[in-house]
Amino acid sequence: MNTELKLQALLDGALDAREIREIEAVIAQDIQSAALMQELKWMKAAVAGNDVEAKLPDSREFYWSKVERGIAAEERKAAAAPAERSWWLKFLYPATGLAATVAVMFVISGERSIDGADSESVQEDVNAISFRSETEAMSVVYVADENGTFSPVSQEVNNEPEADK
Amino acid sequence: MPQPPDYTTTLDVQLVASSQAGDMVAFEELVARHRDKIYARAFSMMRNEEDAIDLSQEAWVKAWQRLKQFQGDSSFATWMTRIVINLCLDQLRRQKRTRAESIEQLDEELGGVERQMPVVASNPTEGLERAELRRRIDKAMVQLSYEHRTVLILHEFEEMEYKQIAKVMNCSIGTVMSRLFYARRRLASLLQSLKKEQQS
Repeated sequence: MNTELKLQALLDGALDAREIREIEAVIAQDIQSAALMQELKWMKAAVAGNDVEAKLPDSREFYWSKVERGIAAEERKAAAAPAERSWWLKFLYPATGLAATVAVMFVISGERSIDGADSESVQEDVNAISFRSETEAMSVVYVADENGTFSPVSQEVNNEPEADK
Repeated sequence: MPQPPDYTTTLDVQLVASSQAGDMVAFEELVARHRDKIYARAFSMMRNEEDAIDLSQEAWVKAWQRLKQFQGDSSFATWMTRIVINLCLDQLRRQKRTRAESIEQLDEELGGVERQMPVVASNPTEGLERAELRRRIDKAMVQLSYEHRTVLILHEFEEMEYKQIAKVMNCSIGTVMSRLFYARRRLASLLQSLKKEQQS
């Protein structure tokens, strides 16, 4: 901190005992510092108690009505925010389920078991499980609902005629 | 039809408690009691009546929303004043971003200008009547940049320490001290000019 700011800190009572002694010694020896200190004191004294005295031009009722309207508007905004969020949430779970079904069906159609064994595929990102049994000639798709409970949403059974086997 | 309660003699602390419980009539009484002070602080910072009215209203709306956070660590008036000061500072910062800096402001930011000002040798406010002194100070304050005016207001009128001002204004303690020093020196210089104008 330079001498000038120390002079100001002395005026504002922001120095400790050692710093006060040091800066007072400077003031005692240096005329310029003493003059600057005096100027700062005049300004502090002049400003003190001379804050702006402004009065609101609006009447009590008119001013309050505007504040009240502001509060009501903010409360409406706050109440509307969760509703705005919830409208798309209503569609989120069915849309996820549909997307999962489509994704799983796509996987099933592309992956046929060659060796005839039963197979199960889990799509972690879509919350769906598919089950295919070559011996039973059927595929089942389970999709999780919002509670994480899996239930079958589609079932495909291939009833091939005996003659074709 | 039941009459609304008469809160004219109720203490602020009790009005705050009722308002925190959702009593709008109690809150309206708080607004009525402190609205001039809150408006005056906004006006002293913004120097514009329209902005001061808008920001003081916004402060009351914010206060209602945050009323539950008021713990009574300071007086209600002090808490309200802090809200309006923060709103004014946000607004002033936005305004500053959209306008070109004057050469004087740039000089102030760079520092050193205040050191070149000659020290005022005689008290420029001596012998002035209170109303005249207030008028001159007001005139001089308008000529300070908002950063310097705000530091002076917060220190002299809100009695905030350097550290508190630094926090509110989001700057270092050194910057606060330097701005306050400049503001006082510039004020002395402006008041001296006003005195000379009056004498000539």
